[in-house]
Amino acid sequence: MSTRLARRLERNGLGLLSPPLVLLLLVFLLPLLAMVPTSLHPYIPGKGIGEGFTAEHYVKALTDTYYLEIIGRTLALGLIVTLICLALGYPLAFFLARTQSRWRPWLMLLVVFPLLLNLVVRTFGWIALLANRGLVNDTLVALGIVETPVKLLFNFSGLLIALSHIFLPFMVLVLVGVIRNLPRDVEDAARTLGAGWATTFLRVTLPLSLPGILAGSILVFVLTVSALVTPRLLGGPTYKVMSTLIYDQFLQLLNWPAGAALSFILTAIAVGLISLSSAVARRLGAGA
Amino acid sequence: MSARAAERWRARGLAAFAGLILAFLMLPVVVVVLASFTSTSYLTIPPKGLTLRWYEAVFSDREYIDALWFSLLLAIVVTAVSIVLGTMAAYALSRRQVPAAPAISGLLMSPLAFPGVVIGVALLQYYSLTGLRGSFIGLLLAHLVITLPYTVRTILASMAGADPEIEAAARVLGANPWVAFWKATLPVIRPGMMAGGLFAFITSFDNVPVTIFILGTRHMTLPVKIFTAIEYGVDPSIAALSTVLIAGTAIFLVLAERWVGFHRFA
Repeated sequence: MSTRLARRLERNGLGLLSPPLVLLLLVFLLPLLAMVPTSLHPYIPGKGIGEGFTAEHYVKALTDTYYLEIIGRTLALGLIVTLICLALGYPLAFFLARTQSRWRPWLMLLVVFPLLLNLVVRTFGWIALLANRGLVNDTLVALGIVETPVKLLFNFSGLLIALSHIFLPFMVLVLVGVIRNLPRDVEDAARTLGAGWATTFLRVTLPLSLPGILAGSILVFVLTVSALVTPRLLGGPTYKVMSTLIYDQFLQLLNWPAGAALSFILTAIAVGLISLSSAVARRLGAGA
Repeated sequence: MSARAAERWRARGLAAFAGLILAFLMLPVVVVVLASFTSTSYLTIPPKGLTLRWYEAVFSDREYIDALWFSLLLAIVVTAVSIVLGTMAAYALSRRQVPAAPAISGLLMSPLAFPGVVIGVALLQYYSLTGLRGSFIGLLLAHLVITLPYTVRTILASMAGADPEIEAAARVLGANPWVAFWKATLPVIRPGMMAGGLFAFITSFDNVPVTIFILGTRHMTLPVKIFTAIEYGVDPSIAALSTVLIAGTAIFLVLAERWVGFHRFA
């Protein structure tokens, strides 16, 4: 390499940037691009990837009722988990953002701790809680609320409970950051002008925390529809969502073309939502 | 009821609700710890009897111990390389006139937006073609891709606090570029490097969705090992192993908090 080129790379920073960029190019972008042709090849049972090109895997994923049910279930799960995380997370975040308690840093660590703990371990905890002879059912039976154990594993409700628990800390951390930065004097002004606490909250605090609510909701939704470990362990091999369907197509059925097509549909949902939300956030920011 | 008293009750109600949610967050953790001490051969809570035999079973199982060491080794190497690459990228983005800088930082962050399972299957196919499947270097490269967003982001944030003039002054006074960086900039961005490193370590040590597709048969990581064990059926030894991880994570968190004030970065 000539010294002039070296100096130019040094000045525009591309010399320093090239190792991380080459890594992303070779181990991220190229593998993703290599999956595009795979998703367009036919699948021959027992033999694998066939010759020629076809859009059948995309068409099937978006028309076949079996696939549509799984996609619909995944999206419904994402939506309801997001709403639960908002309902539980906003009050907790509000408390953590406003409390004067000297325990505040330790309470924050209680929110962070589950995030750092191995996801497989947290999911295992939910298996112990939700099984037919698990703590939740034992308690419900002992209290006489139900007579026989309620089915909470391998179905929608089990996934809903566990995924809400697993992604709640993300929502809380995003909201704490936003609520802490709200200008308190605007709330005080509303109170001074005679607004009750409910009016103040609904007309001042809540609208001002909207960017955080949006950011936290998108984050939780995308994480939920992308989740693999928890749906796989709590849903078993039969109760599927999109990511576990992809997992099965690649590792069990060896139908890589269909798996690749489903991967791109899942990616379109995740990446599409993230780009959409940053566009909305920019407009919110510009409007304020 | 006076307005004051109403205010106080509202505050108490909010604190009580917050306490309940925090209890909900800790519930599975407590349950796992309790379940690990049962003397029954099946999971039951509260535990029946009290025994440490499940811990003995885990610690005498070579497969678990090997998987633990392999996961730690992988996470440490990933963390070190990720900090170096993250610092290079963050330094270039904040101190140099990088062409198309927004696109480049967008690219560096993009692995965060992609579902882990998608990165996993893409690498499964790619590694099968290139022969990297099952290799240590393949795992290392994959984990670097998914940890880089964290190290770049935290180090980039801490670069904002490092005054470029100080490094420039060191250069004028005759320090070579490396020494100038080491003495003038590095001390300021060290907390960001530590925090980014902690995220990288946890992301690597925790990962299943990408790792499980590219692991092959030569190596085994701890989370994938537990994942497959649970798929075969749960027993109290998994609770014992989980409790070990819970204790390890708690110690890690307290130390991290002491070092860098972890909760500020989360």
